[in-house]
Amino acid sequence: MINRILRYTLIFVLLIFLQLFLFNNIQFSGYVNPYVYIMFIMLLPFDISSWLLLFLSFLTGFVIDVFSGTPGMHTSATVAAGFVRPWVLRLISTRGDYEFVSEPSLRIYGFKWFLIYTLVIVFIHHFFLFYLEVFRLTDFFTTFLRVLISTLFSVVFIVLLEYIRRGK
Amino acid sequence: MRNLLNFFKRYNNVIIFLILEGIALSLLASGNSYHNTRLIKGIRGITAGIEKSFSRTASYFRLRETEMNLARENAMLRNLLEQAGKMRDNSFSTVTDSVYRQKYLWFSAEVINNSVNRRKNFLTLDKGYNDDLAPDMAVIADDAVAGVIVGCSSNYSVAMSLLNTDFRLSARIRSNGYFGSLSWDGKSYRHAVLNDIPQHVTVVAGDTVETTGYSAIFPEGLMIGVIDEIERSGSDFYRISVALKADFKKLRFVNLAGNLQKTEQQNLETQFQ
Repeated sequence: MINRILRYTLIFVLLIFLQLFLFNNIQFSGYVNPYVYIMFIMLLPFDISSWLLLFLSFLTGFVIDVFSGTPGMHTSATVAAGFVRPWVLRLISTRGDYEFVSEPSLRIYGFKWFLIYTLVIVFIHHFFLFYLEVFRLTDFFTTFLRVLISTLFSVVFIVLLEYIRRGK
Repeated sequence: MRNLLNFFKRYNNVIIFLILEGIALSLLASGNSYHNTRLIKGIRGITAGIEKSFSRTASYFRLRETEMNLARENAMLRNLLEQAGKMRDNSFSTVTDSVYRQKYLWFSAEVINNSVNRRKNFLTLDKGYNDDLAPDMAVIADDAVAGVIVGCSSNYSVAMSLLNTDFRLSARIRSNGYFGSLSWDGKSYRHAVLNDIPQHVTVVAGDTVETTGYSAIFPEGLMIGVIDEIERSGSDFYRISVALKADFKKLRFVNLAGNLQKTEQQNLETQFQ
């Protein structure tokens, strides 16, 4: 248990660092803003209680917000992502129930499963985030394009990170 | 109570989600000046729309009052105009008596009774002696002849409408200056008849018919209507049908003009008759 908490703390700190010092600096023509820290919420174990999941989501978003000077923006998006995670997991379960002790990972559930899981969660998170950022419905499709492109990049980076994690 | 607890147990994650999302959104709204302004702007846009429709409705109810004020203001402005005009005419005169300066005195009144379907139609106005109205004042609606006051009480006046077979008015055609007598034939409330224009005169449909000022009741050059149909009767004169400018079916606010020099003119005229 203690081991697990330490591991997740490490993942958390690493992802936050990566996000703040690497990915926040990728801004390719204003359309590409990959957000990989959402991976932390994705990787939390299956048997986590829903309230803890929501609080951790809140904490993740809050930390990112504090460091990037955008109070509330990432927080609302991560809380939304944490809220829908149980339903997403139920929807895309391939072989009945998940093994409750395990965590969502590419190694156990396969590339296709992990890709769909990442796509859905990242899309929901980015959708919330980008629309809250512009905070208006004019230019709806421009924003939507940004959501799609950034989702694509985030998914690619998250899958890559997952490969690295597996290799470790 | 148990139901309530069950409810909370069942939806605890939804409740937590809503609370956390609420905190996040309030942070968003209060922490970012951009989102804050957008939000305030949006809310103000909604309330402004509601307020606008409210005030529009309210102003509709005040329309009557506004209309009355405008009519009063018009009368006042006409008084000023008359004064200005006369002063310029007498620029070499040293007489400062107001009678010489101002020829017409203008008032406004509201029509409170009216008819167009009889042969002898009268208007009732809501002002009388108390408001300085007197018989023989001209009643003017839409800047056109509407009638003449025939009797006043302290608070009301009765005016003979132009649509009265007894009404006679000296009128002329603006384009050539020939004058005749205008009366109503009792048929259509949109038309009157101009007689006594000799047939050698060229008259065109559409010409303006205006007052002459000979009667000392109506100011000179006040529009009556436009020529509609020209009929050559058996006599030497035309029978001209004039489309009236004033719409007698919707008379509401009228202006009144009283000639201050009327008695003077008439006294002088009677000496030679």
